[in-house]
Amino acid sequence: MAVSGKEQVTAYAEKKRQVCKDLKQMVVDQLCLDLDPEFITNDQPLFGRGLELDSIDSLELSVGVFNLYQISLSDDDKAVLSSINSLAEYVMEHQAKDASDGGADLSGGMDLG
Amino acid sequence: MKVRIDTGCIMKMLPHRYPFLLIDRVTELEPGKSAVGIKNVTINEPFFQGHFPGEPIVPGVLLLESLAQLTAVMYGAAALPEGTDFANLNEESFSGIDLAGKVGYLAEIRNVKFKSLVRPGDTLELHAVKKIQMGLLSQIQVFARVDGQVVVEGIITVSQKA
Repeated sequence: MAVSGKEQVTAYAEKKRQVCKDLKQMVVDQLCLDLDPEFITNDQPLFGRGLELDSIDSLELSVGVFNLYQISLSDDDKAVLSSINSLAEYVMEHQAKDASDGGADLSGGMDLG
Repeated sequence: MKVRIDTGCIMKMLPHRYPFLLIDRVTELEPGKSAVGIKNVTINEPFFQGHFPGEPIVPGVLLLESLAQLTAVMYGAAALPEGTDFANLNEESFSGIDLAGKVGYLAEIRNVKFKSLVRPGDTLELHAVKKIQMGLLSQIQVFARVDGQVVVEGIITVSQKA
């Protein structure tokens, strides 16, 4: 089936919108923030100014990302947590890679018992 | 693995002392991964003086402290040299190694529930299992049982000393 470039772009944008929405909900749930998820913008810094998260929260976010997408973040991936945008791109990159590898590797690097 | 780490060894691994050494023995250990320990509660505990007069109840925060100390032993064991015989640890196993000085701090407690009262005569069976680690921080699932019944459960985050 031939898919036009335009449809691909639209599908990607739609997917990313959904991933961002899910991630915002996850951030609010996981960190028990008293905040409407819609209030978080995609490029707002999560740490420091912005949402004012700290390193303890980053551990919590990596748990949330794992629960949602079975993707484990390591120390080296901390930059990924800088905004919803960068996190969404990372998640989608991983999903695309897992799909081309023939299915997600659920064992992951992270031992969640 | 089954172990029997008594107070002599525990005091080599923890800086805590009376009246704040709140673990008596470690009975199972997978260094850096999980541990099971025991804390016996007696009427001689100093905090029963005030908590509460006529109604001795172990403060919930001290139950968490017991679990945090078990966690510290679990991590300390991981720092022992390779080939250490954990089933037969003795005080000489620690010669030249300062584990107590490396014990980190409690960074967060989460979803903690105190499910029933702990009183003198109770034997706390403490459990800790590492969940994830990121940098210097690790999340540990903890719970304690008395007579097979869970009295406290939750998640603690501990930091290693940088």
